Amino acid sequence: MKLILSSSNIMQAGRQSVIRQPLTQKSNVELINSLRSNFLASQQIETSPANGTANGQAVSHPPSWTLQTEDALYIPAIDFSHPGLSEERDQYDITVKLFYLPGIPISRRCAHTREAIDLVLKELHVKSIDLLIVSFPGILFDADDDSEEEDNEMSNGEPDDFDSLVQTWQVLESLHEQGVIAQLGVAEFGSERLARLLPHTKVKPSVDQINLKDCCVVPKNLILYAKQEQIQLLTHNDCHDILPVGTTRELLGPAEKSGAGILASSPDANDGIQGDIEPQWVVKYTAVVKDRGVVENKGYFASADVGSCLKDRS
Amino acid sequence: MGLLALGTALEWPEAKKKAGQVRQWGIEQLLANWRRARGKERDALLWGDEVEYLVVALDDAAKKSRLSLAQADILKSLARDEALWKSGSGKNSATGDHAGEEPPHFHPEFGRFMLEATPGQPWGIGFKDLLKVESNMKWRREVAKAHMAPNEVPITLTTFPRLGTKDDYIQPYYPPSGPALRSQFVPDEIANPHIRFPTLAANIRSRRGRKVELNVPVFHDTNTPRPFKDPTVNYDLHNWPEDDDVRNGAAKDDHVYMDAMAFGMGSCCLQITFQAKNMTEGRRLYDQLSPLGPILLALTAATPIYKGFLVDTDVRWNQIGNAVDDRTPEELGEAPLKNDRWRIPKSRYASNSTYISQDPRLRKEYFDPDLVVDEDIKKRLMDGGMDDLLATHFAHLFIRDPLVIFSEDLEELDLNKSDHFENLQSTNWQHMRFKPPPPDSDIGWRVEFRSMEIQITDFENAAFSIFIVLITRAILSFDLNFYIPIQRTTENMETAHARNAVLDRKFWFRKDPFPRRVPRSAQQSTNGSTFSSTTSSAVNTPPPSPPLGPVETEFDLMTIDDIVNGCADGSFPGLIPLVESYLNSVNVDVETRCFLASYLDLIRKRADGTLWTGARWMREFVAKHPSYKKDSVVSEEITYDLVKAVEEMTVKEGKKGSVGWELLRGKKV
Repeated sequence: MKLILSSSNIMQAGRQSVIRQPLTQKSNVELINSLRSNFLASQQIETSPANGTANGQAVSHPPSWTLQTEDALYIPAIDFSHPGLSEERDQYDITVKLFYLPGIPISRRCAHTREAIDLVLKELHVKSIDLLIVSFPGILFDADDDSEEEDNEMSNGEPDDFDSLVQTWQVLESLHEQGVIAQLGVAEFGSERLARLLPHTKVKPSVDQINLKDCCVVPKNLILYAKQEQIQLLTHNDCHDILPVGTTRELLGPAEKSGAGILASSPDANDGIQGDIEPQWVVKYTAVVKDRGVVENKGYFASADVGSCLKDRS
Repeated sequence: MGLLALGTALEWPEAKKKAGQVRQWGIEQLLANWRRARGKERDALLWGDEVEYLVVALDDAAKKSRLSLAQADILKSLARDEALWKSGSGKNSATGDHAGEEPPHFHPEFGRFMLEATPGQPWGIGFKDLLKVESNMKWRREVAKAHMAPNEVPITLTTFPRLGTKDDYIQPYYPPSGPALRSQFVPDEIANPHIRFPTLAANIRSRRGRKVELNVPVFHDTNTPRPFKDPTVNYDLHNWPEDDDVRNGAAKDDHVYMDAMAFGMGSCCLQITFQAKNMTEGRRLYDQLSPLGPILLALTAATPIYKGFLVDTDVRWNQIGNAVDDRTPEELGEAPLKNDRWRIPKSRYASNSTYISQDPRLRKEYFDPDLVVDEDIKKRLMDGGMDDLLATHFAHLFIRDPLVIFSEDLEELDLNKSDHFENLQSTNWQHMRFKPPPPDSDIGWRVEFRSMEIQITDFENAAFSIFIVLITRAILSFDLNFYIPIQRTTENMETAHARNAVLDRKFWFRKDPFPRRVPRSAQQSTNGSTFSSTTSSAVNTPPPSPPLGPVETEFDLMTIDDIVNGCADGSFPGLIPLVESYLNSVNVDVETRCFLASYLDLIRKRADGTLWTGARWMREFVAKHPSYKKDSVVSEEITYDLVKAVEEMTVKEGKKGSVGWELLRGKKV
């Protein structure tokens, strides 16, 4: 079964995205807190006295604050009829960052990309986005050492080799061709990797987003190469493994353990959906009013598969 | 300072008779303008900084520094160049680093030893623009210097340490005790000779019925006499009736006494003005920035010396307040109310007293219960269609008398102008200013943030300017709520004066700045974002939410470090983390982020004490000077060396252990 988790607009919920921490610390706290907080807020509406539910056992599955459709279980239920943005489309810069997660077969990326982008378009009520940045698993930028690794084995052993990267890029190029995405970008690419990718592209990345311990020490050859190829170097502070399996289970697990009460407490318990959980992708979207620099809408969607017979990984 | 019209300025007795008329016409102009501009929408963020300089002449042979009264010559020379620039033949035209930038603008200020410079065109929010601010400030300084005599320099100290002493601290020298200021310390020639300025000073004195009175507590060092009786005060002067002031006790024991507008309005500030997207957003920013005023005042503290003495306060604010305080004894509460209309608790130059945003989060408990309002004016504004909050704001500003009236302007009311409105508006020097769009222009609703002290280097001035800009973006993006009862802000403003308040004092601040989460199902009524783009006042109904707790539970006393960097217990997130969170949500290029990081780092470290404020640095400089006698006296020699050090600092910026590293770098290497 497919689960779609969403945070709704986190700018209006505030607190979970502002963390007192050193600038350089990467983190997925924003994602996790914003999902958790959105689940709680949705549950609170449901558990108002009139509904009289609460205590664990008697709750229906899936809970009524979620929405089961033919293709997925939405956590919480999303009502796409709300207007996404308050002004006209051309007032905004819409940036989307898609995180392909480790261990997920590359063959699914085409569908995942489409799925993630569609959710964002629906949420914001727009037909296109201005910039899509993709984050590949296993690619880590190291400011101290620009000769970044070629041996990037993914966490469970499947190599995210160069061919697959090019394949994925072609999927993105087709979205660009259809006018859904105006500009493409990558994350954490060093100059060598950029140089390898570029000859294989019809649409060049216009952005390389890097996370730096101290953003004043960018390797010189990357700066020069980016300038030469007119690739903008942007900064971010997303962490690399943004949605690990354990975190997902905790987030959706039983209410007693401050989870959302969606998943069963163990794979064979009957207090929720049974089986293993496998996060598929995470997407972050940001709509900024261009000439005022105001972030009006920002949020996350994440998709996970759950069940005893997860899709064959081939 | 705005444009300087010429005309016949009325002396106070005449001006007083016309005050009602000017107020009335000002209100009609405001109403006409408000009707024209209230629907203005979707203006971009544009902002500007104003940097003010002292012009100091150095006499290296005699080791003396003096204020130079060369403002008019410098401005004339600058204007000539600006004209050449525009015609494209100037020798300083914008090339190289400043290609594509408009040449900076220079303006006169109250003091004839002052200059004000603004960027040639306003800044936007494009992050590339933010990168230009510092270099543009440096450019302004270079251009200004190029138009001065070889021994003159523009420096950004808030005040000249020896203004008003017995020696020849100005060049050319004029003796004190002129007819306009009647000061026993400074000559009339200290002020800009444009008729507006001497009239302003004279009418303030005249309305008040005596000279203005500034008593700043002296800093008691080990050899400072106790009680300290200001040795520069002359009790035997008999040129003007006001010379009696000191014989009537105007100069207080243990205080440095000053008696003229120049001691206040001769201070340099760093002011930032923002254009909001519409009136609603402008009103919101006015309210939300207000509680930050005293915090930024304490953070930028740079004024520890007056009239040759170390004082026990760190900032300029109240001195300016007292220097332009035109209140009569009745208004001050020193005499029973007979002729005047009301008691007025604050000077015209003071922290602001109103909240004006139509924000459901604005609780009635936040308002000043003692706010003085001209009810007739308020009624006129409301009859004209203005809402209660905004009408109250302007009816509060309009309790004052206009100070400088030109008789030529009283012949006919022109509703397409704003001169009478501005007469009152621009002489209400509160720490926030809400500015309606000027008639006949494209400019939108603006808000001015006025509390900051000028910093010695342009690096610091850029850092604080950009910090405030980023805070406004965080306020709008996160829908932040900094509301506290406005009297607490007034109190904080006083707190900010204390020596080393930045580290030693606590300030009232709101604990939780975040909006309450509105569940999605309840959002429909408010159209997604709480009160986004609509200008109508109908959105004032809050969505259903749990009842609010007592106001007192919403705020607490915090250190500046807590407020800027966040509370250790996680209760208040901190202004810097808020700004960084904002920056993490927008696309910022690597180079810009690096610059911004160095600015935020300066502010972070000023707040936690790693870096010194300008005030602290000056105190230490004086204390360590070989000729300092621990008697609070800042001599001519010390002042000369201080000015030289400041001049060096503006160039070397404390790098590699050069002078000022304690307030710029925090380490010697």
